[in-house]
Amino acid sequence: MELRINQKAYQVDADADTPLLWVIRDDLGLTGTKYGCGLAQCGACSVLVDGNVVRSCVTPVAGVVGREITTIEAIEADDVGKRVVAAWVEHQVAQCGYCQSGQVMAATALLKHNPAPSDAQIEAAMVNLCRCGTYNAIRTAVHDLAKQESA
Amino acid sequence: MTTRYELPNLSLDAPVNLSRRHFLVSTAVGALVIGFGLPLGSARVQAATAAERGTQVPAFLEIRPDGSVRLLSPFMEGGQGTHTAMAQIVGEELDADPATFIVEAAPPGEAYVVMENGMRITGGSMSVRMSYPTMRRLGALARAMLLQAGAEQLGVPVAELTTQPGRVVHAASGRSLGYGELAARALDMPVPDPASITLRDPSQFRWIGKPVKRLDAYDKSTGKAQYSIDLKVDGMLHAAVQHAPRLGMTVGSLRNQAQVEAMKGVHSVHTLPGAVAVVAERWWHAKRAVEAIQVDWQEPTADSKVRAMPADFSSDGFRDFLAAQQGPARDDENEGDVAAALAGAKTKVEATYHNQYLNHAQLEPPSALARFNPDGSLEIWLPNQAPDMFRADIARRAGLDPTQVTLHSPLLGGFFGRHFLYDSASPYPQAIVLAKAVGRPVKLIWSREEEFLRDVLRPVAVVKFRAALDDKGLPIAIEAVSATEGPTEAIAGKQGEKLDPTALEGLSGKAYAIPNKRIAQIYVKGPAMLGYWRSVGNSLNDFFYEAFLDELADKGGHDPFELRLHLLRDNPRLTTLLQAVGEQSGGWKRGPYTAEDGTRRARGVAMASPFGSHAAVIAEVSIDKGQVKVHQIWEAIDPGSIVNPAIIEAQVNGAVALGLSQTLLEEAVYVDGKPRARNYDLYPILPPSRMAQVHVRIVESGEKMGGIGEPPLPAVAPAVANAVAQLTGQRIRSLPLSRYTFS
Amino acid sequence: MSNRRFARTAGWLALACLVAAGLLAWYATRQPASPFAQEQAASVDPSQVSRGEYVARLSDCVACHSLAGKAPFAGGLEMATPLGTIHATNITPDHDTGIGAYSLADFDRAVRHGVAPGGRRLYPAMPYPSYAKLSDDDIRALYTFFMHGVQPAKQPNIPSDIPWPLNLRWPIALWNGVFAPTATYAAKPSQDALWNRGAYIVQGPGHCGSCHTPRGLAFNEKALDESGAPFLAGALLDGWYAPSLRQDHNTGLARWSEPQIVQFLKTGRNLHAVVYGSMAEAFNNSTQFMQDEDLAAIARYLKSLPGDPRRDGTPWQYVNADTHQDIPGAHTYATRCASCHGLDGKGQPEWMPPLAGATSALAKENASAINITLNGSQRIITAGVPDAYRMPAFREQLSDEEIAQVLSYVRSTWGNHGDAVDAKAVGKLRGHTDPASSSPIILQMR
Repeated sequence: MELRINQKAYQVDADADTPLLWVIRDDLGLTGTKYGCGLAQCGACSVLVDGNVVRSCVTPVAGVVGREITTIEAIEADDVGKRVVAAWVEHQVAQCGYCQSGQVMAATALLKHNPAPSDAQIEAAMVNLCRCGTYNAIRTAVHDLAKQESA
Repeated sequence: MTTRYELPNLSLDAPVNLSRRHFLVSTAVGALVIGFGLPLGSARVQAATAAERGTQVPAFLEIRPDGSVRLLSPFMEGGQGTHTAMAQIVGEELDADPATFIVEAAPPGEAYVVMENGMRITGGSMSVRMSYPTMRRLGALARAMLLQAGAEQLGVPVAELTTQPGRVVHAASGRSLGYGELAARALDMPVPDPASITLRDPSQFRWIGKPVKRLDAYDKSTGKAQYSIDLKVDGMLHAAVQHAPRLGMTVGSLRNQAQVEAMKGVHSVHTLPGAVAVVAERWWHAKRAVEAIQVDWQEPTADSKVRAMPADFSSDGFRDFLAAQQGPARDDENEGDVAAALAGAKTKVEATYHNQYLNHAQLEPPSALARFNPDGSLEIWLPNQAPDMFRADIARRAGLDPTQVTLHSPLLGGFFGRHFLYDSASPYPQAIVLAKAVGRPVKLIWSREEEFLRDVLRPVAVVKFRAALDDKGLPIAIEAVSATEGPTEAIAGKQGEKLDPTALEGLSGKAYAIPNKRIAQIYVKGPAMLGYWRSVGNSLNDFFYEAFLDELADKGGHDPFELRLHLLRDNPRLTTLLQAVGEQSGGWKRGPYTAEDGTRRARGVAMASPFGSHAAVIAEVSIDKGQVKVHQIWEAIDPGSIVNPAIIEAQVNGAVALGLSQTLLEEAVYVDGKPRARNYDLYPILPPSRMAQVHVRIVESGEKMGGIGEPPLPAVAPAVANAVAQLTGQRIRSLPLSRYTFS
Repeated sequence: MSNRRFARTAGWLALACLVAAGLLAWYATRQPASPFAQEQAASVDPSQVSRGEYVARLSDCVACHSLAGKAPFAGGLEMATPLGTIHATNITPDHDTGIGAYSLADFDRAVRHGVAPGGRRLYPAMPYPSYAKLSDDDIRALYTFFMHGVQPAKQPNIPSDIPWPLNLRWPIALWNGVFAPTATYAAKPSQDALWNRGAYIVQGPGHCGSCHTPRGLAFNEKALDESGAPFLAGALLDGWYAPSLRQDHNTGLARWSEPQIVQFLKTGRNLHAVVYGSMAEAFNNSTQFMQDEDLAAIARYLKSLPGDPRRDGTPWQYVNADTHQDIPGAHTYATRCASCHGLDGKGQPEWMPPLAGATSALAKENASAINITLNGSQRIITAGVPDAYRMPAFREQLSDEEIAQVLSYVRSTWGNHGDAVDAKAVGKLRGHTDPASSSPIILQMR
């Protein structure tokens, strides 16, 4: 099957029910997308599919054929994603960093749909787990991005 | 293959013949660079080894033509910011901007044993505080070498030279040379006598003590940071395992081996001690195939080398068993005459506390990548907090000399104590066997489910407190007898001649002026395998002690904040700290009171002095739909002196998150010898919605430098518990709070 | 009711009681007739063993009579009944603790009539009212399998904890007299062979009605074949709602084609649904092992059972929904559910089932929706391979109220029109249920 990932076409030989995560990581070598739980619980595997944030560990690859997939590797090619990364660096969000690919994807998806989300909308969208406790830094960074937009 | 961890595999006693100007290819910068990083086995390094710790400059530093500095850190980066801190410390004395540093984990080896206690581990919140003077001196030695090289190149006396960040400057002539230009010549400089080095006056610090940006922030925000689980080498196969449902069980027959071997992508099926494995071309295939293996698991045999988990073990049942233990108890602290004080006291207070088992639940599932080279040597990549211990163990398992083992230590996707040497809880022994068996490199990843099955647990304890109050209601005696097993005892499989400090820390070592005290342990060897969990014994014991102290305050009719101040009246450092957190929170007020949003709230206070630092926490809570909501955490922390306030603030946030997590909802429940949770669904960790706002105040007392990774954690649970008790009138004597019903 | 009528009725009842008392001792302990009473043990035909094994698969004996990791058919499964706890018995050919001493006739009386040797009545947790339909040939094959294909295991049975006098077995004989038919399946000449085969499996060995047919006050299935409208019309049992298997648009199989039914029973999934709850066990242990022609027969038969629009309600149609509603249920759905089931509720067929149009979101009974959300799904093992994806348990993450909110959202969005879910109902099921195991559980038959 053919997948479109980060504006490139990839021929992939995988079973239809293989999670997109493992195709991305093992077949295509794009390891920025992380395996955390395999159960849509943590969000470390978040990618964008047609601009929506999706947990790739529970996304059978057959379901995303013909759709536009964006992984963290290409996040800065997206204007919103680039701003999110800059805010992440500015606010020094990452600690161990393992969940941050997913956090950046979630923030990017949120801001692409809603450039100036309310506090409640941010809280509702930024639900990925972080074991290092970067939640407040994430919140600050996203609020900052939202504020830039509404200013 | 190429990885950023490409340091020659050389040991102290293996003579080598490498060009000093050997080429290093690093994907970290994607550039070909010439360095003067010398392999560890070089004669120069050996000569230096004989001297003092942390003086083998070439083993640590490589300065590249572009002036960037590659530093091999003795400590692992797992989010705590130690690589940035090392760059600050070395850079300060080297006179090189930390932003120009590339920091990677150093290989095992004597050269990197820089801690003042003669160890090299990343744990116990020790990295910075135990290596601070040594790493400063290292930077200063390197600067001296660059100055010497500059003097030769410019043909001027070294005394006329100074440095600016990244440059050697001859002010008189207005000439200067970048460090990168001098690197090659500096190579030929002898490492100066450490005694000849003068360190920078702290008042002149540019980077130490400043909120320098983390070096890894960008890579970690763009998916470029590589963890063990991400690594790949040529010809590599993937492996997954299925462990016995209970530790100690052994593999009987496999009912469907042929069927599994025929599954798509499967290379081979293997039987391991207490596990079966599938090696495949892709991990997903390996995982699905290994789950399909139908194993007839056999009960543990009497000679089992691991701690066998009984079929009837339950965590609740074991807690009751601990509570029923009568002794004998061994004293850790015994001052005054507790028995007499209790006997004569007008008011006595007794209470029994307990805590819960916890998992580490770091986001990166464990993995190990093993490759046997044609010469029989073994190269291995794995997350670890103690490279020398791991290398020794790997060599023993592989039947090799440690010199034949190259250990790479990639970034840790969280650790919290998970990556110490735990015999039954690490994938590398399996990866070694599998790589040997298939004759190709193998990367083994434990699925999240296998991780929850084999993770070592934070210990549980049942603590029986007794205390006596005088006629003013002030505590004059306290006794705590803890039925428990410390992680060090669990790993050793027995109680040592001395008490395990990690069993009682937080009950022991409290600074309150209570004249009669006894802290004792009833050692109870349990069936569950234990490990170190961020802030270790303090993570439970400070909860017990500080919550009980609030009981004493209430019983004696004292405000808990005032009582603490009273009990610390002769301790100016802790008095200052407690007052700082009070002030920070807008002045101590216990409540309950009604907040602006109409919620009823109360506050609790608690203190802890773990890992050489001191912390005071005030928590503000309300009850929302039967659940405890923690609104604010104010935390004042005194680590003596600091290197990076921004990283400290992040670490406090992290410790608060873990502290809240264990307080509010985390619990590893065992039923029938098995963990009920095999993933985050049944083992929830703190989600963003339950994080508190965190306010950090750093108090630099100037005392000896303490730790930062763990110290902010232990006071969180008791501060929250004390606030909840005040708000609800319900004593909180156990964790997590999800076991309580609040209305 | 007038007094006179009451007196008359009471009189008849008294007479009936007298007669009953007289007959009771005989009736309650009598051995039912068995066609095999005179049959001598024949030599073992290996093909009979494998045929019997297949009948055991059709009948899903293993589901109750085996425990994971224990000897096959050694019994032990604990079953909560309204009266107390009973345990499935050892049906291995062990002479002392199993059924090794059973003659074929003994076996037949137990399986088809619920009567153990000596006349002791089995609890109708054993679905003998359905097994009564088994053909003589299938009973003979089944017996051969249990005697010669199953390893004897010495495993004493666990007595029930049902207290006296509820533990007296003789009333069951009366119950049987009213509710348990004794005739084997009789083919309907008006239908073709495929239909009749399907009817036989569904009514007989498959005992589908045990879960899918509503029960009466005496805990009897309200109908045992297509002649009764309640047959397979959907029922609540053990905290799960087993949906209608009739041509009901919302709660039944009206939207499923015959091949989709076959696919569901063979692979555990199709475009409409994925097996979960009790059906996951039935799939893991039984339906996937059925031959294709038998599955086709089942599908043919089920598709012949008419629906009832009055019971089933307005036919569901997909309706586009605002996925960004600012209500708690929608937020929870977006963050906890949408990754798999889609913001549009359409799921990722055939791996993650749609919630739009799902029976659990349309049925009046909300137990399945609550149960799966609290406890997650057990592993679905198809052809020996555990599933790639499973439903997580949310009981440790979401409160009763949050679960009620998200399920109310699911049951009222995308055209779904199930009732709102009350937090109390969630709390009740939370207390009665345990999370599903995330380990693959495979019950061995040999």
